[in-house]
Amino acid sequence: MTAVTLVSAEVSPRRRLKVLASQEALLAIAVIGLAIAVGLYNPRFLAARNLSDVLLGNAYIAVAAVGMSIVIVSGNIDISVGALIGVLATISGTLAVNGAPIVVAWLAALVAGVVVMALQGVIIAYLRIPAIVVTLGMLSILKGGLISLTGGKWITDLPDSFHLADIELFGMLPFPVFLMIAVTILAALWMRYSASGRAIYAVGGNAEAARLCGISQPRTIVMVFALHGLFAGAAALLYATQLRVIQSTVPPNLELTIITASVVGGVSILGGVGTVVGSTLAAVLIAEIASALVFIDVSPYWIRAVQGVLILVTVIADILRRRRMAGA
Amino acid sequence: MKLGLAAAFLGATLLAGTASAADKRWDGADDLPVNPLACSAGEANAAPAAKPYDGGKPTNAADKAGKPITLVDVPKLIGIGYFNATSKGMQDAAKALGNVTVKTDGPTEAKIDEQIKFIDNYITSGVDGILFAANDPVAIAPVLKKALSKGIHVVGYDANSTPDAREWFVNQAEFNGIAKAMIDSMAKEAGEDKSFAIVTSTFTTPNQARWIAEMWAYAQKCHPKLTWLETVEAQEDNNLSFNQATTLINKHGDKLAGLFGMTSVATPASAEAVTKAKLCGKVAVVGLATPNAMKPYVNADCVKSVVLWNPVDLGYAATYVVRAVVDGSLKAGATSVDAGKLGKLNVVNGSEILLGSPFIFTKQNIKDFDF
Repeated sequence: MTAVTLVSAEVSPRRRLKVLASQEALLAIAVIGLAIAVGLYNPRFLAARNLSDVLLGNAYIAVAAVGMSIVIVSGNIDISVGALIGVLATISGTLAVNGAPIVVAWLAALVAGVVVMALQGVIIAYLRIPAIVVTLGMLSILKGGLISLTGGKWITDLPDSFHLADIELFGMLPFPVFLMIAVTILAALWMRYSASGRAIYAVGGNAEAARLCGISQPRTIVMVFALHGLFAGAAALLYATQLRVIQSTVPPNLELTIITASVVGGVSILGGVGTVVGSTLAAVLIAEIASALVFIDVSPYWIRAVQGVLILVTVIADILRRRRMAGA
Repeated sequence: MKLGLAAAFLGATLLAGTASAADKRWDGADDLPVNPLACSAGEANAAPAAKPYDGGKPTNAADKAGKPITLVDVPKLIGIGYFNATSKGMQDAAKALGNVTVKTDGPTEAKIDEQIKFIDNYITSGVDGILFAANDPVAIAPVLKKALSKGIHVVGYDANSTPDAREWFVNQAEFNGIAKAMIDSMAKEAGEDKSFAIVTSTFTTPNQARWIAEMWAYAQKCHPKLTWLETVEAQEDNNLSFNQATTLINKHGDKLAGLFGMTSVATPASAEAVTKAKLCGKVAVVGLATPNAMKPYVNADCVKSVVLWNPVDLGYAATYVVRAVVDGSLKAGATSVDAGKLGKLNVVNGSEILLGSPFIFTKQNIKDFDF
């Protein structure tokens, strides 16, 4: 018995790294494999135009999922993000329509995102109220407040220069796709190699041990939420500038899609484990599945079911892996 | 392992999808009977079964036939373009009639409790008639019945109450009328023998399901060569609608000559998808939408027909209806009512007056509307 424990204790860190590394690899294989499979059924799916549209139309989800992954790694959750994106899009659009300089309209979304999320981080970290309760409250406040203030009236007549999502870099790379890739790479490097990035894993993995190592848990959590707010602001800008109108309502179920991307991307719902590369790949996979369902003539009713199965399978696998590592 | 399972599941959905590919057209899931209109305006429409008058009646209303009357209009909310337009129609009608004074007053938010307070206050201060667009058909009924009991005439427009709480309701559009306008516009813009697809909210939304069922019936009857490719869901979500429309464009390629937007969200999003794909003029977009959201696409010649009704005409007709009720020319059992420049409007469903064919916003007229 002791021998077994010893052996597994010795093996598990390396095995854990391997499993972690392979989560991203598996997702990448799934993204490519699905593209080929659907391409065989309907070659139009592989057209460059379609693949780029899949990325373009869903990049905002991947950007928001980067922030969400950081929050979940820190051992928290945020269910207000979908509502916040709706609110930030409305703030930015309202400013742009009322003649504010476009840059100010853009920055306002980022700043307001950071402020709202940092505020939630402070309540969670210093008042020690569970994140799910705080963010559920914020969800209601944002949702109700937005409808009350705007009356559901759409924002139209947006100036052309407002449409950040229409920008193409080097005449071919759409800005949303560029932002998705850039944000993912920067966040991944920061989380892996910087002290403050590693602190998030420490706080989410074992808060007590992190405290003993001199990491301030409250400060880390506020930082995590502030960053998440910045990414939510960036996601809101992509969301708001993609179309010519802003709905002034909360996008339905958006927070669920974002959390799904994080969890399917291998971020453990129990905290301490996961990467933003995984969540971005998962966001791409989910977007690809949604498009694929139309291409293979499956009722889009199935997208929710497929997302649900992906979540369940990933979470069950995560929990089984943890039990195995805990050494039965 | 986990992804292996997921892949197996995806495989299963693939199989299920192939099996159900035949019914992807989806032409309305309800089993209610359809009643397609005649193909050209000249032909007579099949008359639906006549329904007896089911509206209410004011108690001891003062006889003011031909005399000046004062009306109040309490819409869902004030200060938005749509109800500014209905209000303008009422003023136009008052001017045309010469013996009607109408004022619009109501809550600044679409709240039923606020709306009830406004109506209650006007019952107390005394008016000859109340026009309303209900925030809630059931909750507004008691205060409207109170108005009737005080001898005040009550006529609804835009959003109905339960029938017995008002005398008449001016119905802006019937399902088969919208369906005809949509399919006729598509056949004209895309071509009689072309293919189209539909972006709707969900398959379970009652209004959209009825419209689509009527569209299918009308298309089969009057434009049998149009090919109905498929219908996709996009909730009431801007970005999802855009993604779904883009996917349809990419999937069907040159075969796709038209897209229908079934909601005020799906139509501008479909137009945006066609614009981004640089297919304006090649893929026609026809749909239900409000003018402001469609102006960029209509002004850029990417969208030619936006189907809805004209809210100015709606307010105009509602005012003529109150005048006709007061004058005694519109009574229970009547089959039509005279509505000034709009001509004779038909009575349908017992106690409703149909505004007429839907209104089509085009590049020429869309600038006149702000909602």
